[in-house]
Amino acid sequence: MSLAAEAFVSQIAAAEPWPENATLYQPLKDDQILLSDCASSLAVQAYLRMCNLPVQVSCRANAEYMSPSGKVPFIQVGNQVISELGPIVQFTKAKGHSLSDGLDDVQKAEMKAYMELVNNMLLTAELYIQWCDESTAAEITRPRYSSPYSWPLNQILAYQKQWEVRRKINAIGWGGKTLEQVYEDVSQCCQALSQRLGTQPYFFNKHPTELDALVFGHLFTILTTQLTSDELSGRIKNYSNLLSFCRRIEQNYFEEHDRDSAGSSSSRFSKGPSL
Amino acid sequence: MADPLELYCWKGDWGLPSVDSDSLTVLAYAKFAGAPLKVHKIANPWRSPTGSLPALKTREEGSLSQPSKIIIHLRKQKYNADYDLSAKEGADTLAFISLLEEKMLPALIYAFWLDSKNYVDVTRRWYAENISFPFNFFLPNRMHGQQLERLRLVRGDSGLEPGDDIEKELYRDALECMTLLSQRLGSHKFFFGDSPSSLDAYVFGYLAPLVKIKLPSGKLQQHLNSLDNLRHFCTNILTLYFPAEGREAPSRKMSSQPDAGDFDNEPNKRRNQVLSVLVALGAMLGYAILTGIVSIQRVHQEALESSEGHGNHSHDSEEEDE
Repeated sequence: MSLAAEAFVSQIAAAEPWPENATLYQPLKDDQILLSDCASSLAVQAYLRMCNLPVQVSCRANAEYMSPSGKVPFIQVGNQVISELGPIVQFTKAKGHSLSDGLDDVQKAEMKAYMELVNNMLLTAELYIQWCDESTAAEITRPRYSSPYSWPLNQILAYQKQWEVRRKINAIGWGGKTLEQVYEDVSQCCQALSQRLGTQPYFFNKHPTELDALVFGHLFTILTTQLTSDELSGRIKNYSNLLSFCRRIEQNYFEEHDRDSAGSSSSRFSKGPSL
Repeated sequence: MADPLELYCWKGDWGLPSVDSDSLTVLAYAKFAGAPLKVHKIANPWRSPTGSLPALKTREEGSLSQPSKIIIHLRKQKYNADYDLSAKEGADTLAFISLLEEKMLPALIYAFWLDSKNYVDVTRRWYAENISFPFNFFLPNRMHGQQLERLRLVRGDSGLEPGDDIEKELYRDALECMTLLSQRLGSHKFFFGDSPSSLDAYVFGYLAPLVKIKLPSGKLQQHLNSLDNLRHFCTNILTLYFPAEGREAPSRKMSSQPDAGDFDNEPNKRRNQVLSVLVALGAMLGYAILTGIVSIQRVHQEALESSEGHGNHSHDSEEEDE
């Protein structure tokens, strides 16, 4: 989104209340969505639920191409379209919904830093395992990514995406890493998150913030997704406080909401998103 | 332990121990941890054992290039600047390093390599003046290409032109990042109490070039200058841990320093140029004589016999070769 548009959006946003028909778009959740996209999408959903903002989830095969930044998920609110968690947090803040207002400056700095830690390490590790581990890419990622398309388009798109992601991974210096080193990085990241969380219910004590939404999105998705090996989820299971943290958010924000509204997405979290 | 490890890094200028962020990070960490390194400050990445700078030559693991790997290796050798940190502080270190990499690095790449004014006046000029002769013609351009590619891939944009929108977006993130760091630092001397750790080394590596190198378009610098504690943090590390470099450029000598650099390099550069032209000429002449394109006796003979067409022809080809 261009900056002029962004400034414009935030001005308008402040004026209008949150509409009932806000929609979140993501790829098809049964056949198409990949681990990393599913994690980002779940993080946005968790964030909006923590803000108590209703949103309908809509699955589209071409969600990636509909998004203004080329990344999923994105939300449509009124006549505005915003993609990714960061801008969405900004957008809701402009509308007067914020989870991090109660924090002091140092805590805000730490929250931002930990969010970048998750993006920098967990998200990159997910991308690496999806596209750079050849067995995962061949068995899961490429077939799923290209499932809506027929031959030969499916092959072309899948390999094109794989090439793109691999170049990005190389550019940030992860190209030379082995799978084992990536798992090691995930452990290190979880260790840091676990230390930071300690025995608190949320990262900044009693109230959840966007950091909690982001961490929940990634950890819960990794825990509930079947990959070619259990190594990735196994690394997270070593940290019991992170597991109970995920369970806490799931209970507080997904099960209760679903019971209240008997929403359509309740089935999703009982069996978990499957990749 | 017996013989010190060898570290190759970019040479310094502007009162910095090195002009490159990654090299600065490693140098600072080594100082903080008290690791005795044999430092080679060079201006040609091809002379480093890995082909890129910085690089640490180790016995067990070969040569390491990434700052994080170098720091981990130093840690394994018992040179640990993070020894006193609690587990939570260790976690914070990891988080803030991620913040720097995600928010600060792209803006720095933009400021030094993509902003055309800064690139032409400062970055390219420095590298062209300091890299030794035949390489200075293409290495700066190659590095420019690599940095551009890196930024493009990190941002995931296919069309990346230095334009207002991208600049504003990157700089907004970077300014926010600096503000956050400043808030985190507060009035402390270092990020975790009184002794420096690896996070201090990273922050120093990223910010010190902005403090010392004067850029023609310096939005990042303006903001950094308004954050007193961060700026003092950088100058403080420079005076405490790199006193030699600090003395060379006492505050306002910056304008005269590049000139001094010019004079230092001039004779060497001229000599190299003359030498290489001579070598090339010699090679060309040698080739011409060996393969018989130019034959001295024949020219004489033909000149004597005044068969002009052939003689002129060989003369021409000799001139063309040169």
